[in-house]
Amino acid sequence: MSDGSGDGADRPPDTHSRLLRGALHSLLLAAVALFFLNFNLVGTASPSRRFSQDLVYAWFGDQAWLYPREDTGQTLRAPTQPRVVVVILDERALALRGARWPVSVQFHAQFLAELEVLRPRAVLLDFLLIDPAAPADVCDLLSVAARLRADGIALYVAVTRTDDLAPMDAVDCRDAAGRPIHASQVFTAVSVERQADDSDFVSRRYPFEQLSGDGAAGQGLPSAAVRMYCDTTRSPGGCLTRLIGAQAAGAGFELAWSAQGDSFNQHWSHASCVESVSPMRAVLNKPALPRESACPPVATLFATALLSPVEDPTLGTTNEQLFDLADGAFLMVGGNFRGSGDLVTTPLHTLLPGVYYHAAALQNLFAFDGHPKVRKEFRTPRIGFYLYDLLVLWVLAAIFLWRQRQLHGEHPGDYSSPFQLFSPAARGWIAPFVARWPTPVWIVGATVLLLLMASYRSLQLIAVAAIVVTLVAVELRVADKSEIRQRARGLWLYLGALALSLMVIMLAVWVGYRWLRLPPGDWLGYFSFAAFGFFVAHTAILEFGRRVDELYVARIAGGGAP
Amino acid sequence: MSRDTMSKWLLMALMSLGVVRELPAGDPPAPAGAPGICQLADNRIVGPRTRNRPLPLLAGDAAHGFHPACTVSWSSVSPNNQSLPVVGCFQNSLLQLDNDSACGRGTGRLWVSSRWVLTSVDLQREQSHLAATCQRLDNSAVAATRDFLPDCVPQNAELPPRGDARLAVPPGAPASAAGVTPGQPAAAAPAPPPR
Repeated sequence: MSDGSGDGADRPPDTHSRLLRGALHSLLLAAVALFFLNFNLVGTASPSRRFSQDLVYAWFGDQAWLYPREDTGQTLRAPTQPRVVVVILDERALALRGARWPVSVQFHAQFLAELEVLRPRAVLLDFLLIDPAAPADVCDLLSVAARLRADGIALYVAVTRTDDLAPMDAVDCRDAAGRPIHASQVFTAVSVERQADDSDFVSRRYPFEQLSGDGAAGQGLPSAAVRMYCDTTRSPGGCLTRLIGAQAAGAGFELAWSAQGDSFNQHWSHASCVESVSPMRAVLNKPALPRESACPPVATLFATALLSPVEDPTLGTTNEQLFDLADGAFLMVGGNFRGSGDLVTTPLHTLLPGVYYHAAALQNLFAFDGHPKVRKEFRTPRIGFYLYDLLVLWVLAAIFLWRQRQLHGEHPGDYSSPFQLFSPAARGWIAPFVARWPTPVWIVGATVLLLLMASYRSLQLIAVAAIVVTLVAVELRVADKSEIRQRARGLWLYLGALALSLMVIMLAVWVGYRWLRLPPGDWLGYFSFAAFGFFVAHTAILEFGRRVDELYVARIAGGGAP
Repeated sequence: MSRDTMSKWLLMALMSLGVVRELPAGDPPAPAGAPGICQLADNRIVGPRTRNRPLPLLAGDAAHGFHPACTVSWSSVSPNNQSLPVVGCFQNSLLQLDNDSACGRGTGRLWVSSRWVLTSVDLQREQSHLAATCQRLDNSAVAATRDFLPDCVPQNAELPPRGDARLAVPPGAPASAAGVTPGQPAAAAPAPPPR
């Protein structure tokens, strides 16, 4: 890392070579930091990274900069995004029509006929219609579906394989004019496959498609939300190609989530839909994530309410609330049956019926205008996104080294913590103070104190605050003015560099989230470098670099070849 | 102050003092607004509430199951816009019409969802208080079989809907206007319920 002049190390380097050396040193430091930031031996780093992302959504998921979804309850009259509404079928709803679990084709047929009155834009049946059904019931379902199609209402049905609908076609159903009705003509088959992170089984990702076997990306069955979204665009085929084809096989997009419930759900929810999850709770060692989703973030209409006004008289005498909600909306019909097992673990670690997975994915696609967030590991070319990380860390490392130089001059060999814990004067006062007691006494005393703090988390915050106050008091009492000035300067430099680093990180997050579409888990690691502690841990590489540099310069000075 | 109001205040006072810790879980909850329309005699369908969209009619019965028959306009089942008698009722959800021809032959008497029609019982009920609904998502993880009903306590029964939610009948609105479907001409207003 010499400037290449070969003039030896004794002469002070000029500005140009100093800048070059600083840039190369910070690049080396950034590269090492990048490696350790992504070091994930046996997957141990994944859970913490994903959990950090969950916390970000829990705390800031209601902020438009992070998740610009619309609250249906507040935009019933003038939404700017298409509305997504979950329609929940349960045992009570089936009983209203004399039916029982599992939901029969006969029930689906009459329920679709009820939904037709609402004139939704599209309906997803998150049910696998694979149970045997009477031919008359199948024909009823296909007839109603054909009528909805004719009304311009798109119908989607969940399948596990592309031939799941074949048994329906085996029944020779015909419309009033005698023309055959094929299931594939009236229903769009979509995948309802679920993705979950291996580390904790939380469904943070939504697959673009369901691949069969070793199929290449873009060859599979589109997932429900992806297909439904693309069908709203001018070029559905182009949209599918862009979303599915451009990703690695098996890729999924990240589900932004909000702890805030949709205010429409206050119709029926016992719990408040205004969830306040604060980062301060985590600081105070309290549960940092909501315990349950008693008020989900997607507007929810219970089928019981739809099938009987006695069950929900609050939808209006003339059903005005109902029509305001569902007219032109995307209705995601799913089940909430005890014991069915169709539950999804949301990014907030709560459980919800599986249909919310698809509803949230569709909301994400609308909220991000068809450009959802996708992890670096699924992007192509992958190395390009890691280069972006390297660039950000390079700038942060440069700020770190600049601060070190300001503190330690041209030979910043001391890479100790940002500002040392004790001044020499304070050390000179504290050591004799502790030395009043025999060694076994103060060591055992300190051990007991640390044991208590480890056992009782509530003591930790109190202890840290008490230690900081005590140290400041000791420093102010025993240190001389020049020492205090020096330490104050170091503190200001630290805070200034911290603020500058945070500004760089804000810019990097904005570019990464808004333009590169990287989810929070892919940029949260930057923040750990703002406080410089992580750079300090890797500064040994700079000492090694300096040593190599000296050897190189000495070799050139001795007439050796470069 | 009415007795109901006094009871409500007493309950709220007790709850604020922590005396009432938990409401007992009793029988499966009756839907808000009970008794339902099936329990009341002489009910009549006085008009649609479908925004002038066709009514979905069902055929069949409880024993053999219901299935969609057709969709028709209100004028098809009530050419003179007269109220129609309810000849059958199922689970407060379906009302049976004295009509077996609106969807062609062989359907038997047809059914319509109580959601899409306004009945004389609805008109009477809307003049009384508005009750809240009581729903909850079953997202608890239980290592057991199903077959038990959730306890559903309408804790917000007396709360008005939040946000954009509005009362079914705006305060002060004339009761006679509440049953008219928006957009319907005055002449097409449903017939008044029989006395």
